[in-house]
Amino acid sequence: MKTAVVLILAMLAQAGGDVCLSQGMRDLGGAIQLAERELGSLILRGLASPTIWLGMGLLGVFFGLYAAALSWADLSFVLPATAFGYVINVACGYYFLHEAVTPARWAGSLLICLGVFCVSRSEMRTALAGGRAGES
Amino acid sequence: MKTAMMLAIIILSGALGDVYIAKGMKQVGEIRTLRLCELAWLGRRIVSNVAFLLGLLSMIAGFLAFLVVLSWADLSFISPATSLNFVLATLGAKLILKENINRLRWFGTVLVGLGVALVSLP
Repeated sequence: MKTAVVLILAMLAQAGGDVCLSQGMRDLGGAIQLAERELGSLILRGLASPTIWLGMGLLGVFFGLYAAALSWADLSFVLPATAFGYVINVACGYYFLHEAVTPARWAGSLLICLGVFCVSRSEMRTALAGGRAGES
Repeated sequence: MKTAMMLAIIILSGALGDVYIAKGMKQVGEIRTLRLCELAWLGRRIVSNVAFLLGLLSMIAGFLAFLVVLSWADLSFISPATSLNFVLATLGAKLILKENINRLRWFGTVLVGLGVALVSLP
């Protein structure tokens, strides 16, 4: 249960961080069209943006929770399980940033959900078998 | 050839980074507390753990290689290809961390890798 709570919080922090960074960078304008000499000013403006700081802070929280989960749970469980964050990102991009989501991305999200389901089932089996894979 | 080599470096660095960060965290021990002073003490132990630092450096190296390869290769090719990291890190978990991985977990990991590749497509 502890693993599930920590991983859900980690994925929410990651998705929140990604959305904030994306929104913050959009607020700064089209970086791709900027000349190289303007890169410094872009970075400075980025560092002055509270949204970007919030995004970086949330990604820091994600890394802390991810590392904490690895202190007791298997990497082979934690790593694929956190991939569910990609699905949250697709959903957040669709609902909050109004991004167009291609059928390939929806299909990928479905595959990730199935994969995470299989990995979480395998964790339950390992725990039931008395393995050292950590609790679920 | 150059792109393939850089891609191999990115995937290998990412996977080794995950494996060694996991190894370092296991050496530090399970985090059971939410008290700030104990968390600060744990934090000091974590940042002085060699395996953890190796993992972090490996991840940073992989990220830098990712940025470098983007200077000539398409993101739409590089980004989905890095999803191989899930399978390689799981292999590292089995070989280096001696984790017990059953068929269902392998199957789930491959599905996740394929899914991430599709999500990363432009």
